[in-house]
Amino acid sequence: MKLLEYEAKGVLAKDGVPIPKGALAQDDPAFLPAVLKSQVPTGGRGKAGGIVIAKTAEEYGNALAKLKTLEVKGYVPRSILAEELLGIKTELYLSLLVDKNARAITVMAHRHGGVEVEDNDEGSYFTLILPARPDFDAAGQQLADYYDLPDKTFVLQDLLQKIHGAFIRNDALLIEINPLVVTHDGDIVAGDCKMELDDAAAFRHPEWAFETGKAEVNFVTLDQNGDVATIANGAGLAMATVDAVADAGMRPANFLDIGGGANEASVLAAFERLVTYPNLKVIIINIFAGITRCDEVAKAIVTASEKLPGLPALSVRLAGTNYEQAADILQRAGMTIQPSLELAIKRAKQETR
Amino acid sequence: MNEALLSGKNVIVQGITGAHGSFHALAMAAAGTNVVAGTSPGKAGQTVGTIPVYDSIKAIQADMRVDSTVIFVPAPFAKAAMLEAIDAEVPLIVCITEGVPLHDMLHISQRLQKSKSRLIGPNCPGIILPGLTKLGIIPAAMALPGTVGIVSRSGTLTYEAMSALSARGIGQKYVIGIGGDPVSGTSFVDCLELLQNDAAVDRIVLIGEIGGTSEYDAADFVARHVTKPVFAYVTGHHAPAGVQLGHAGAILGSEKESAAAKTEYLAKNGAVTATNLVALMNEIT
Repeated sequence: MKLLEYEAKGVLAKDGVPIPKGALAQDDPAFLPAVLKSQVPTGGRGKAGGIVIAKTAEEYGNALAKLKTLEVKGYVPRSILAEELLGIKTELYLSLLVDKNARAITVMAHRHGGVEVEDNDEGSYFTLILPARPDFDAAGQQLADYYDLPDKTFVLQDLLQKIHGAFIRNDALLIEINPLVVTHDGDIVAGDCKMELDDAAAFRHPEWAFETGKAEVNFVTLDQNGDVATIANGAGLAMATVDAVADAGMRPANFLDIGGGANEASVLAAFERLVTYPNLKVIIINIFAGITRCDEVAKAIVTASEKLPGLPALSVRLAGTNYEQAADILQRAGMTIQPSLELAIKRAKQETR
Repeated sequence: MNEALLSGKNVIVQGITGAHGSFHALAMAAAGTNVVAGTSPGKAGQTVGTIPVYDSIKAIQADMRVDSTVIFVPAPFAKAAMLEAIDAEVPLIVCITEGVPLHDMLHISQRLQKSKSRLIGPNCPGIILPGLTKLGIIPAAMALPGTVGIVSRSGTLTYEAMSALSARGIGQKYVIGIGGDPVSGTSFVDCLELLQNDAAVDRIVLIGEIGGTSEYDAADFVARHVTKPVFAYVTGHHAPAGVQLGHAGAILGSEKESAAAKTEYLAKNGAVTATNLVALMNEIT
C-alpha cells in the first residue's frame, strides 16, 4: 500500500526523522507563508500545479480552494498539507528499498534531488546493500562522502539509522525521500516522502489506518470498451486467459482472479461488475479446480445467471476436480462446458463476430 | 537440487490439523506420497486419517527421519514454521502458504544461505513427480508420467500447462511451481539446472510472469548451459504498468519487467516462445 505524503512523513517523524513543520490545512492559515501540497497518490504533482506557496491569508484561501478541486493525474485530493517554507540550499535524493536480487535492504542516493528518479541522468547513483545488522557509522560516512557533505557525516549516520528503523518497524517496501533538503541553516529535512508498506504484513500492524487502504489487486479494468470479460482463478491463469483473448483478436475488458473460493456470491458479484462494460458481448469463465470443486462452481454460475437476467453469452471452461458433475449441471441449465481454454476462446470468438 | 531430494521419502506436513493441511496431507498420501507425520502445536497424539500428529519437528525426529516438509500454516506463522524446519535441518522445505511478508522472506533467505535446507516457495503449489510423489497441492489426476519438465512461477497456470500436455499424451517427469512472490527459496535457474542434468528429461517448459527479472536469469542460463529444447511463455502481455495483478510478484514496474520484453529475451537466447499458452502448447509435439 502506498501512503500519502503526510502519512509517510508522520511515520518518519515517529522514528525521529526531521520533517518540515506542518499539518493538514484548515480553512484559516495556522502560519504564513505556507506551502500547500495536494495529497494525491501519484508523482509529477508539482508540474500539475498541485503545490502552491501562499504568503498572505488571501493567497492561502484562494490556493486552498483551487487545490481541493484540482485533478492531478486523475486524482482529486481528500486532504491538503500545509507546511512551512524551507530555505533550500541543496536538494538531494535518498531512498531505502528491498533489492529482490540481493534479498536485502538497499540504500540509494543521488546528489541531485527534486526530480523524478527516471528523469535523473546527471551522474550515477550511490547504492549500498545493507547487511542484516548494518554498520550505520560506516554507511553514513560513505553517504557523506558521496554527497560531498563532510560536515554532515554525523547527521547522515543518524538519519540513515532512523530511516532504517522506520523501514523495519513498518514492514516497508520503499521509503523514498526526494528531495532530502539541506537548508540554509544547515538542517537536513525530508522535503517530500513516498512510502510503500507491505500489505501482507497488515496482520501485525493494527495501528495501520491510512486514507488509501489496501489496493484492490484481484479485479482490474484493462479496457472499458472491451468486448470480452474474463473470470479465472489464480493470477497466472487470469493473465493467461486475457493473453489468449487478445491473441484471438478480441478486446479483453478486464483481469479478474476470483481466487480459490468461486462461490455463488463471488460469481454474482463478478457478473454485476462485468455487465457495466458497454460493449460486452461475452464473458469467459476459466476455472482450474484444485482446491475448488467444479460442480460447486457450475452451480454458482447457474444460480448467478438466473439472478441476473440480460447477461451476455457465457463461455464456460472448467477443469479439474468433479468436472463430469459440473458438465451435467451446466447441461441441465442449457449451457455447455468447454473442455479446454482453446475451445473456450473459439466459443467466445463466435459470440463477438 | 536433484531427483533424490525432490522424491520426498519421509514427508511431514506442518499445520496438518488445519483445513488445508489435513485435506492436502490426505490427498498427497492418496497420490502415493509417503506422509509419515504432521505437526500442530498442542495437538500431539491426534491423527489425521492414519497420519500421527506431533507438537514439533524435533519430536517427530525422535521417532523417525524427516526428509521433506510441506508447510500449510497461515501467513503470520509461516516464518516460524520455516525457521523450525531450517533449525531441524530438514533437507527439503515446500512452503505453500500465501501472503508471507517480504521482510520475513528476507530473514528466511539469509538463514537459508548457511543452512542444510532447500526451500521451494512460498506462495507456490509445490512439486509433483507424476506417478511417484506429490509435495503440495498440484492436482495429481491431471498429471501423466513422462519426460517433460515444467517449471512455473504461477499456481493454476502450472496445472493448465500440465493438463494441456497430458491431454495431448505428453507426460511429465517433474512439475515444479516455484511460487509468485518477489523473494522465494528456489529460482528458475535452480530448476533448469536440475532439468538439464536429469537424463530422463527431454524437453523443458518454463512459465514466467510479469514483474521481477528472474526470467532474464533463466534465459541467460538457457543460452549458456541448456542443450534440451526449452518452451517458454510469460503471462501478462496485456497487464497495465504499475498495477498489481493478483499477487505481490505480479506487478509491472519497468518496461524490462513486461511480458513482451521477457519473451523477446527468452527467444533471443534459444527458447521457443509464444504470446499465449495455447499457442505454446501447440509447439510441443
